[in-house]
Amino acid sequence: MRIGIISFAHGHAYAYAEALKKITGVELVGIADDNETRGIEASMRYNTSYYPNYEDLLDQDIEAVIITSENAKHHEHVLAAAKKGKHILCEKPIATNKKKAVEMIEACKENNVFLQIAFPVRFSTPIVKAKQIIEDGEIGSIIAIKGTNRGTNPGGWFVEKEKSGGGAVMDHTVHLADIMRWYMGSDVKEVYAEIDNLFSDIAIDDCGIITMEFENNVFATIDCSWSRNKTFPTWGDVTLEIIGTKGTLSVDAFAQKTDVYSVEGAQWDFWGEDMNQDLVEDFVSNVKNEVPPTITGEDGLKAMEVALAGYESAKRKGPVLIG
Amino acid sequence: MLKALVIGAGTMGSTHSAAYSTMEDVQLVGIVDKNLEKAKELAGKLGTQAFTSYEDAINGLGVIDVVSVCVPTPFHKEYVKKVADCKFDVICEKPLARNLKDAQEIIDYCKEKEVKLFVGHVVRFFPEYKRAKQIVEAGKIGSPAVVNTKRGGSFPSASRDWYADYNSSGGLVLDLMIHDFDYLRWCFGEVERVYAKSAQGRAMAKLDYALVTLRFESGVIAHLEGTWAHQNFVTKFEIAGKDGIVQYDSSKVAPLVKGINQSATGSVGVAVPDSPLKENPYVTELKHFITCIENNEEPIVTPLDAYKAMEIALAAIKSIKLGKVVELRKQEMEVRI
Repeated sequence: MRIGIISFAHGHAYAYAEALKKITGVELVGIADDNETRGIEASMRYNTSYYPNYEDLLDQDIEAVIITSENAKHHEHVLAAAKKGKHILCEKPIATNKKKAVEMIEACKENNVFLQIAFPVRFSTPIVKAKQIIEDGEIGSIIAIKGTNRGTNPGGWFVEKEKSGGGAVMDHTVHLADIMRWYMGSDVKEVYAEIDNLFSDIAIDDCGIITMEFENNVFATIDCSWSRNKTFPTWGDVTLEIIGTKGTLSVDAFAQKTDVYSVEGAQWDFWGEDMNQDLVEDFVSNVKNEVPPTITGEDGLKAMEVALAGYESAKRKGPVLIG
Repeated sequence: MLKALVIGAGTMGSTHSAAYSTMEDVQLVGIVDKNLEKAKELAGKLGTQAFTSYEDAINGLGVIDVVSVCVPTPFHKEYVKKVADCKFDVICEKPLARNLKDAQEIIDYCKEKEVKLFVGHVVRFFPEYKRAKQIVEAGKIGSPAVVNTKRGGSFPSASRDWYADYNSSGGLVLDLMIHDFDYLRWCFGEVERVYAKSAQGRAMAKLDYALVTLRFESGVIAHLEGTWAHQNFVTKFEIAGKDGIVQYDSSKVAPLVKGINQSATGSVGVAVPDSPLKENPYVTELKHFITCIENNEEPIVTPLDAYKAMEIALAAIKSIKLGKVVELRKQEMEVRI
């Protein structure tokens, strides 16, 4: 299978390129990037061609494309790829507003290509095992979920609102909103958020506590803050505390680690499974077997809507209904 | 030597009694409980007298200096007033009352009768909490931004299951999470608004679970997890500031773990963790209150603090009920302290 990557703006592009390289029968045909230095560097690193213009990459004989551009450019890139009949793995969040996301989903449908959203956390082994335990009914029915997806301020275009659509809330709400929807098969109907810019001097939201009411009568919260500082031993976390009628489940997606104390300070060395690899393998296998995407454009839209409702809630200082 | 009486021989009454019995300048003169057997059992252990009512105790004992009120919350007002009528100083367990009207009445009454009132917000005396506040104040983590706390374990069992009676106890939010409300207010000042959700009315299971978000006037965002849905008691906090993070998790603090094998052949058994200190925080707290009585000093936690913590808890309960944000300053009552 021949695959291209549009843009290395998002750091996940490197992980996805590494993943593609490890899959037999997959060829990374080329990299398109509007940042020439970055594009050339990446094409050299992965021993592939560089295209300054993504249309030229899309004109190549490729079946699929991974889009890891700035959030605000997903729309343009997905529409272009769809028109040229390429299957798409698009980085999260799907877009920066609902209109764009809907257009992306429709364009993919019209052109009969599939759109998968990159929520790698769905492939974390503790996250997957937790889903199994929930489905087996071991903790009864879910009453509440408390999630954290804290991280480090990534800087760059992530803190430029016109490119990212928002800061920590946009960046980190969607992962856990997606996992919660996936676990319960239920959508968020109401959102309340406390959002602020308390950590960084750059004017962008860098912390938030998002409270959600789901259609199935479950309530949940997400701490999406970029609150990990320089000396914290790792970049961030993904955790879920799940309260059921018969028991509880604590999930920590990055707890499989060894503590390392070196001249660089204390660091956590993660030795769990590589969720990015599994995400990309899943995408490739779906394309190959012509089966629908594991994580759909609608999933991407629903998760993004939670983040957007969060911003609206913070503005209004009250809970906001979705839909 | 101060004479101390404890009303209530339940969990907190036992804690107060045991603490008094270790203090050199305090004499535990008696324990009162409607259930005389319970009072006798505790009194026997600590070498003091048991009484079936407060009236019996004062008839038998005469002048007392300080009385600990360790009865279920709805009875606080009745007992504090009785003690104040006798002009004895009062140490009342938290929460001060079930509603703000009663809390105000308790505070006013003690003031009118010129007796000291102390409320047992013991978390301020836990070394890990106290030091975290000091670390923040020393500027080690920069200006505080996002705070997470956790407190709880299994559903509490008590006499007549009064915790399960929401009208009596105020449930998880008023009874347990008030510790964190008080602590956070101590650290970060006044709360501006509250938004909360709880398990109340969502499931038939005997459990409770609440997630509360506070926005402080200082800008700090705090997120509190309160649980009566877990298996083991745990407390956690994380204060993330502009330049650093302070983190604590009681389940990871195990300076001593005792594991006893069930049989000579197998190693299956229960491991019991312990965190020994020379003095438990309840003793520290009560010693502080006794010192305040002896030297006529202002305590670390005032009746106003107790009232304010209740105000936050009740705002959270209101938010849960209405599904709305509750602004604190708007509903603030005039507190005459």
